[in-house]
Amino acid sequence: MNAAEAPATERLLLAMGGGGFTMEPTNPLLDDFVLGLARCREPRILFLPTASGDEAAQINAFRARFADRTCVAEHLSLFRLRDARRPLEQVVLAQDIVYVGGGSMRNLLAIWRAHALDELLLTAWRQGTVLAGLSAGAMCWFQGGVTTSSGPPEPIEGLALLEGSLTVHADGEPERLPLWLAGVRDGTLPGGWALDDGVGLLFRGRRLERVVSSRPGAAAVRVDAIAGELVRHRIEPELLGEERAGGLGGVDEAVQELRRVHRLRRGTAGGRG
Amino acid sequence: MGPKTPQIVALGGGGFSMERDGSLLDDYVLSLTDAARPRVCFLPTASGDADHYVVRFYRRFSPSCDASHVSLFRRDQGTGAVEEDLAAHLLGQDVIYVGGGNVVSMLGAWRAHGLDEILRQAWRKGVVLCGPSAGSLCWFEEALSAFHGDPRAVRGMGLLPYSNCVHYDAEPQRRAEYHSLIAGGMRAGFAVEDRVALHFRRTRLKRVVSSRPGAYAYRVQATADGVRERRLRADYLGDSEDASGGPTAERAPGHGRRRARAARRMIVPAQTAAPRPAGA
Repeated sequence: MNAAEAPATERLLLAMGGGGFTMEPTNPLLDDFVLGLARCREPRILFLPTASGDEAAQINAFRARFADRTCVAEHLSLFRLRDARRPLEQVVLAQDIVYVGGGSMRNLLAIWRAHALDELLLTAWRQGTVLAGLSAGAMCWFQGGVTTSSGPPEPIEGLALLEGSLTVHADGEPERLPLWLAGVRDGTLPGGWALDDGVGLLFRGRRLERVVSSRPGAAAVRVDAIAGELVRHRIEPELLGEERAGGLGGVDEAVQELRRVHRLRRGTAGGRG
Repeated sequence: MGPKTPQIVALGGGGFSMERDGSLLDDYVLSLTDAARPRVCFLPTASGDADHYVVRFYRRFSPSCDASHVSLFRRDQGTGAVEEDLAAHLLGQDVIYVGGGNVVSMLGAWRAHGLDEILRQAWRKGVVLCGPSAGSLCWFEEALSAFHGDPRAVRGMGLLPYSNCVHYDAEPQRRAEYHSLIAGGMRAGFAVEDRVALHFRRTRLKRVVSSRPGAYAYRVQATADGVRERRLRADYLGDSEDASGGPTAERAPGHGRRRARAARRMIVPAQTAAPRPAGA
C-alpha cells in the first residue's frame, strides 16, 4: 500500500490519561470525541488490546461501546487470531482510527516491535489515520512515561512520535506522579504532561491543539524543569458534552460568553438547574 | 547429585490445554523429573496470560505438583502470580511449562522482561522445558508461524539447532508451507502432529511420544533433489486396549510415569517419503 502521506496538519493523535470505554462504561464523551476526529462519517476504528494481553473484558467493552455507533469497529489480536490470516499491514493501514488500550507499556512496545507494528502505526499516522489511546496506549507515543509493568512505577522510553513525556492517572493512581516529577527534575525524563483520568491531549501534527475532558474538575498539568526547578502550569480542559447538555451545540464561544453576560444582567447566573 | 541434563519436550499440540484427557503427554514430562512432588511453573505469555488457560493449568497440575505461574501482563495485580525475583523462582523449578498462542508476541514480551535469558539458564541447569505449539516453537532456532498473513520463518531462542512446525496434521496446507520454507533455506527440522511430542536431551532427539495411536513426527530437510521428509514413529503412551487398531498399538505395553521412564525405545525411522518439489 502506497497511500500518500497526509499533510502534518491532518495528523491527529489523542492521548488520554484514562477514560473511554474501558474506564468509563457509562460516559461515552471521550469515545464520541475520538469518532468525531475521523474525516469520514462512518470511520473504520481498530482497537489494539495488546497492552492487556487481549483481555476479554477490554474487547467486550470496546464492542459494547462502538457496536451501535456510526463506525465499523474491530479489534486486532496479537495473541489469539490464528485463523485470521490477514497481514498486519492490510488490517492497520485500512483504518481511519486506531485506538490503543491500557495495560503493560513494556509488553505493548516489546510486542509491537516483535511484529514491526510500531513502524506500521507511525506509517498509518503519517497517512492520516487518527491515533488514540489511554494510559499505556497514550504514553507510548511520547519520548517517555511511567510504567507499572513490573510492579512498582518506573520510567520507560516510548516511541517518541511526540516530544516530551507523559504520565497518566494523575488522580486515580497518584503513586506514579512523584516518580515522574523526580524524573523530569533530574532529566531522566523530558518535561511533559501529567493527565488526570478523563483528560485527553489532542495533537495536530506534533503540536498540542486542544485539551479536553470527560469529567468536571479533571485537569492536565504541564511540567518542565527549568534550572533544576520544576515549573508547573495547570491547564483547564474543555469539558466535553457541555454544549450539548446546555442545548447550545455548535454555538460560538463568543456567543456563549455574550449569553452569560446577559444572564448575569438579568440576575439569573446562579439559577441554572 | 551431579548436574542434570538439559531436556526439552516439544509438543506439536496437546497436553492439558488441548486434550480433554491431556494427562499422558503431561505425565511423560513429569516422569522426567526425580521429584516426588515436582515444582511446575506455567508461562501463559503467548496467550496474553489468558485467565481460562491459567485456571486449567492449576486444575491439571496442582493436585500432584507445586504449581505456580508467571504473568507478564498482570504483574502486581494480586492474581496470585509469582511477583518476586523471577529468575530465582524459575531456576528453582523442576518443569517450566510454556503455553500456546502467538510465538512472536511471546518472545517479544520475554525479551522485554529478560525471561529469555533466564529460561536459557534454566535449561542449562536441567529444568525440564516443555510446551505445545508456541511453547514448542520457541526453543528452536527457526519456526514456522502462521499468524497474520502468509506463513513465515520466525527466529526462536535457538536452544535446539533445528526448525520446527507444529499442528502438522491440523491444517491441510501446513505440509506444503513447511516444505516450501525448507526449500527456501529454512534449516532442517521437525514437523510434529497434534498430540505428539519430541523429547530432546541436550540438543539430540531422544524419543518421540504420543497420546494418540498412529500419530507421527517428521524429520524434514532439503536435499539436492528437493525436500525430503522422513516419518518418525511415536511411542504411544496409553494402554494398548485404548489403541485398538492403531498402528503402534502392539508397541505400547503400559502407561503412566513408571512406564514412561522404563520404556527406552529408540526412534524408528519409518519409510521415507518421496522427495517433494520445492514450493509445492
